[in-house]
Amino acid sequence: MAILEEPIKEVMVLKNYVGGEWVQSKGELQDIVNPATARVIAKVPYSTREEVDEAVQAAKQAYPEWARTTPLGRVRHLFRFKELLEENFEEISRIQTMEHGKTIDESRGETRRGIENVEVATGIPTLMMGYNLEDIASGIDEYLIRQPLGVFSCIAPFNFPFMIPLWFVPYALATGNCMIVKPSSRCPITQARVIELVDEAGFPPGIWNVVHGSGSMISSALMEHPDIEGITFVGSTAVAKEIYRECGQFGKRVIAQGGAKNFMVIMPDADLKNTIPALMTSFYGNTGQRCLSGANAVVVGEEDAFYKQFKEAFVGAASRIKAGYGLDESVQMGPMQSKKAKERVLGYIEKGIKEGAKIILDGRKAKIAGNYPETCFLAATVFEDVTLDMTIAKDEIFGPVGNIMRAKDLDEAIEMIHTNPYGNEASIFTSSGKSAREFQHRVNCGNIGINVGIAAPMAFFPFSGMKDSFFGILHGQGQEAIRFFTESKVVIQRWW
Amino acid sequence: MQLTTASQIISFAKELEDKAAKLYQELAARYPEAKEVFLSFAKENKKNEIVVQRTYNEVVTDAIETGFSFEGLEADPYMIDVDLAQNVPLSSAVRKAEEIEERIQNFYTTAAEMSKGLLADIPRTFERIAKKRTERKGKLTSL
Repeated sequence: MAILEEPIKEVMVLKNYVGGEWVQSKGELQDIVNPATARVIAKVPYSTREEVDEAVQAAKQAYPEWARTTPLGRVRHLFRFKELLEENFEEISRIQTMEHGKTIDESRGETRRGIENVEVATGIPTLMMGYNLEDIASGIDEYLIRQPLGVFSCIAPFNFPFMIPLWFVPYALATGNCMIVKPSSRCPITQARVIELVDEAGFPPGIWNVVHGSGSMISSALMEHPDIEGITFVGSTAVAKEIYRECGQFGKRVIAQGGAKNFMVIMPDADLKNTIPALMTSFYGNTGQRCLSGANAVVVGEEDAFYKQFKEAFVGAASRIKAGYGLDESVQMGPMQSKKAKERVLGYIEKGIKEGAKIILDGRKAKIAGNYPETCFLAATVFEDVTLDMTIAKDEIFGPVGNIMRAKDLDEAIEMIHTNPYGNEASIFTSSGKSAREFQHRVNCGNIGINVGIAAPMAFFPFSGMKDSFFGILHGQGQEAIRFFTESKVVIQRWW
Repeated sequence: MQLTTASQIISFAKELEDKAAKLYQELAARYPEAKEVFLSFAKENKKNEIVVQRTYNEVVTDAIETGFSFEGLEADPYMIDVDLAQNVPLSSAVRKAEEIEERIQNFYTTAAEMSKGLLADIPRTFERIAKKRTERKGKLTSL
């Protein structure tokens, strides 16, 4: 099948979007490279601290009027924006593939997930309602109203360049706040296209701003800024912890989502025919670069025959995964997002071998469909005889590497999950309701999958996370996002 | 050719509908006595193309098995040849159309069966379109 047409034809030079205007940053430009073709497709500016401040001032200025705009008036902008996203669905998806490397199916899936958050946020006129009680004491009524707070910021990661900002921004805006988005400096193009649609949708100037640049510099400028009310962040645990700490220090609200090491528990009664494709998506989808990826497959039971059957099916399916450019519709796994990311994964594979794990599928040398440089490509790797103390069993590898482990029963499998500091996701594959219920109740992870390899919450549920995978109280998406972006004000009234 | 990913399946389905629509447009021009039926088929093919694309776009998520659901589905048995020789009688043209409909129906039925791991909307749409083919074959036979 032919390669789908690339929407980016020439090198783009990205601009900031501040106060409804396109602004050329004074900062230096960095190349954005398509990881499949190794061609430069854009240049992103590394904005200065002053430019961050200008964006905050623009948002601060726009805030009072936006906060007083009726909820219906606010969501009408979102309705127009949602229509534009649908009209440009394919282009947005292909840009994600070009800058990130993911397959076109994965990019379209990401686009859909992002749009769903816009759809949910358009329900603000009802979702934002408070509550009341007449006669809390004789002749006295009490009620709660939700009010916006001011200017927020979203610091976005590279792995879902379209969707993750939309876990937060539509809710922030619909509740009457203003936003500054700092797209990933590695994958900023999708957000540049999104902001063109924001401009077309006619949001008032200053409501939704974009400042490109270095994560560490812009994050600290935002956290230290007195006019920023809160920060949302998705990225590594080390940075999430730091952001949580600093936001606490500066008195800001924070949602800080960190890394993960997700266990997939396969019970002896699992339906392997359906389980294997689900695990392929979980371990190797997005080339393993997502916080809900499967990492450790724990096969339960002492029966060797089942273990062998599972292992053969898993390795067989993983070995058939077709790697290549994501705009080739037949490709099942794209490249790593960068050469550096690939090298990091290679380092973990070496470490796995050195620490005694048995490599049963070696993906270090990828067979690539089409004529593309090897720079960022890896194929699927599988290890067995992996023990919990090994680095590859503990660390988030963030690449297409799967470990197969064994547990004698469900209790032991759950104990294994709990040895890990992360708590983002865990899944069980079983045909027993009893095992599934036990698993759901006992496992300390924010997102639980039951015969689901990627337990990604829909937009109307919070994207949960526990332990070292999440720092904060309220999560992104749905009702929790609305609570995060509003203050609950309680009024008690009486009339003489 | 193997079809493996959801994206390939959707593109292939659209290609089948598009080719079939072109065939029916040509048949409508050649056989005025059955023009209405053929044009209605061509119109329905275009509608099917939109429905298939829309269903996929509205339910696709990165969390389901879009890359792995159709492993082993061979396209060759479902490829259609819509070239029509000059001056063939209506009966021969109808036979060719029936054969094409049979192939398209088989494709949708197989794809529906294999896509159970995807969100149910996709197999449901495939099944619905496959079912329509039965009605269509009946109409062709009556010509």
